Amino acid sequence: MDERNRLWQPLRLRQLVSSTFIAQPTNGVDGPVSADLDLTAAEQAQRAGDYGRALALYLEAAMTSEHPPADLCLKIARCHDRLESPDEAFTWLARIVDASDGFRHWSAGASLLARLVAKSRPSTGKQCRVAVTGSYTVDQFAAMLPLAALSLGIDLELHSGLYGQYQQDLIDPGSALYSVNPDLIVVAVHEGAAELPRYSDTPDATIAAETSRWVALWDTVSRHSDASLVQHNFALRPESEFGHLSRGLAGSRFSMLQTLNRALSESATQNVNIVDCARLAAHYGTARWFDDRYWVRSKQAVALEALPLLARHTAAVIAARLGLIRKCLVLDLDNTLWGGVIGEDGLDGIQLGSDGIGEAFVAFQEAVLALKDRGVLLAVASKNNEADVREVFERHPAMRIKLEDISAFAVNWEDKPANLRAIARTLGIGLDALVLADDNPAERQIVRRLVPEVDVLTLPVEPAEYRRALSDYLGFEPAAITSEDRQRTAQYRARRAAAEMASSATDMASFYRDMRMTASTAPFDDLHMPRIGQLTGKTNQFNLTTRRFTAADLRAFSESEKHITRYLRLSDRLADHGLVALTIAEIVGDRLDINSFLMSCRVIGRTVEDHLLSHLCRDADRVGCKTIHGTYIPTHKNAIVSSLYERFGFIQIDETDDGITRWQYDLSVRGPIVSEYIEEVGEHDSD
Amino acid sequence: MTLIDERIEEIARDIFADDELVMTDATVARDVRGWDSLAHVNFMYSLEEAFDVQFSEDEFVGFENVGALKRMLAAKIGAK
Repeated sequence: MDERNRLWQPLRLRQLVSSTFIAQPTNGVDGPVSADLDLTAAEQAQRAGDYGRALALYLEAAMTSEHPPADLCLKIARCHDRLESPDEAFTWLARIVDASDGFRHWSAGASLLARLVAKSRPSTGKQCRVAVTGSYTVDQFAAMLPLAALSLGIDLELHSGLYGQYQQDLIDPGSALYSVNPDLIVVAVHEGAAELPRYSDTPDATIAAETSRWVALWDTVSRHSDASLVQHNFALRPESEFGHLSRGLAGSRFSMLQTLNRALSESATQNVNIVDCARLAAHYGTARWFDDRYWVRSKQAVALEALPLLARHTAAVIAARLGLIRKCLVLDLDNTLWGGVIGEDGLDGIQLGSDGIGEAFVAFQEAVLALKDRGVLLAVASKNNEADVREVFERHPAMRIKLEDISAFAVNWEDKPANLRAIARTLGIGLDALVLADDNPAERQIVRRLVPEVDVLTLPVEPAEYRRALSDYLGFEPAAITSEDRQRTAQYRARRAAAEMASSATDMASFYRDMRMTASTAPFDDLHMPRIGQLTGKTNQFNLTTRRFTAADLRAFSESEKHITRYLRLSDRLADHGLVALTIAEIVGDRLDINSFLMSCRVIGRTVEDHLLSHLCRDADRVGCKTIHGTYIPTHKNAIVSSLYERFGFIQIDETDDGITRWQYDLSVRGPIVSEYIEEVGEHDSD
Repeated sequence: MTLIDERIEEIARDIFADDELVMTDATVARDVRGWDSLAHVNFMYSLEEAFDVQFSEDEFVGFENVGALKRMLAAKIGAK
């Protein structure tokens, strides 16, 4: 490798913090950059297994741009993985975060990261064990979280829950969520998880009840664990039932969701941080954020292409929570705070004010001041004559930032890295607390190379876009609210405590009762056969035997005298879940043998198994069977039911070499199994 | 290999995190390590993103092998 490539030598994890809201210009296949990069030779070397040569060629290509495209970062990470240099692989993976907001890049990066950490964790980075639970299919979102965290200097060890289980996960102290002993729990919920009606005549009471349901959940978490919480709030769907009147109607779901979001933020204790999904979705565009095709396909409540954004922001909130926040914005001057060069153009010649491009610089200065007002320190690092610069600050009528706003002033002919070190010394903070805003790519590069601890904000080419670039930057995400706000929170908390008396399920039993679940069960019938076929064909997790059947097989079971089939439809106060579980049992002399027992993952953790077993007990009694036999056939996906029969008091009677266990339940000894929480509303017995 | 073949293989390599994955027309999901229902959603969505097309519900799950997927994709791109 030649000298130039040093520019792209991997930085250490903690140092690679350039976390903008929307990524910099991208990217491989979908963007313009790769057109100028000829990677053929590198790809050939990679295909031939010469990863060293491939890597050298890729790195050479990467140094032709300030922000190498995501595809290239991925290729370089793969080569480093092959060459057994994991820390460099981690570094290049982290760069994907800044290079792209595309689902495919993030997904690919997340997959590779998951594979890498299975071998070894990064040698740097603040460790944090995170459990993700939610109300929709959160797997894709969760998988991206370690990647987003990596770019912020966090080694995030991920555990993600099953579909839609957030209530069970949080309420049950024995849930898998708590068993991993997380430092932090992310509650990724979607708009549908807000239990608000389409319209309420008493919106205040409705919102208060829903707020206290969430607060009670948070309190439950504090009782069960030391983990802190990161809670997603509710994005607002683009559809509006009452059109432009919705906002004026306090009882419309639209209005109530907004009020609920505010109430949740106000109720959030020290232990809870909110990710404002409503703001993110609006920024992103709610019509794209909600992609109902993917809700229908796989219960994806957030459009897949929006997940990188959501992961990036969730990780930023986690970083703030962990104290990984930047404290000081270091500003260049010429063409950063004003247009033109003061040393050449003079006080009258620089562009600043209400005219043309000068207005863009004023807007940027206002945005900088807003940061300062909430506690971010400001510093100046510029190659200039100090006297010229002081004159601008003191005499230019359009200057918004004044000298007294600046905590450290480094205006001289020293290089940027030296000045950044001096600023850190003056302020008594680490280099890793600094962020440089500079319009000059060469200055940015030299800083990245020589003081990699400093984060560098890449200002866009257009000064009119500076303001957005700054507000999209996530390194200043505040960790806590000010004391004034906290006082208001305390008042709110008192009100909330009162509301809480009236409501809320904080243990599993009352949660189940609160859900008001009803089931209707019946033997297999023609009407339901397609769904029954689908369920037996694709259920992997809650499936005791994972036996797959043809339509003819299923029909034969339903017509057989020797078999008892039963499907179950479940409803609760929120939704009709449809046909979600079934059993097939065979009468063998005086025992009833459970051939198949399976359930959609949508309703795991709702005591549906209790309900089906209670039916099997009744069936056994009706046909004169004294015992019920069950079989568990382990697969790599169904560990969740490995101890199901044991839980209900079955005795293990056999175990084969390949782990298949057989279980027996003696009705005369143990009595029938009872379904405590699900009311049968439409039972049709097979006789 | 056509351009579509190459792109599909590249996307599959990304999504299934296997940079030596080879996709022939006869390849089916169970031939590929990691091609489960979750990865399928990621894969199909990535194809939608990369080729700027949308699959119908039937198309999303209904192809018998990679060859059928390629034909479907080629038809969609041709129809644009």
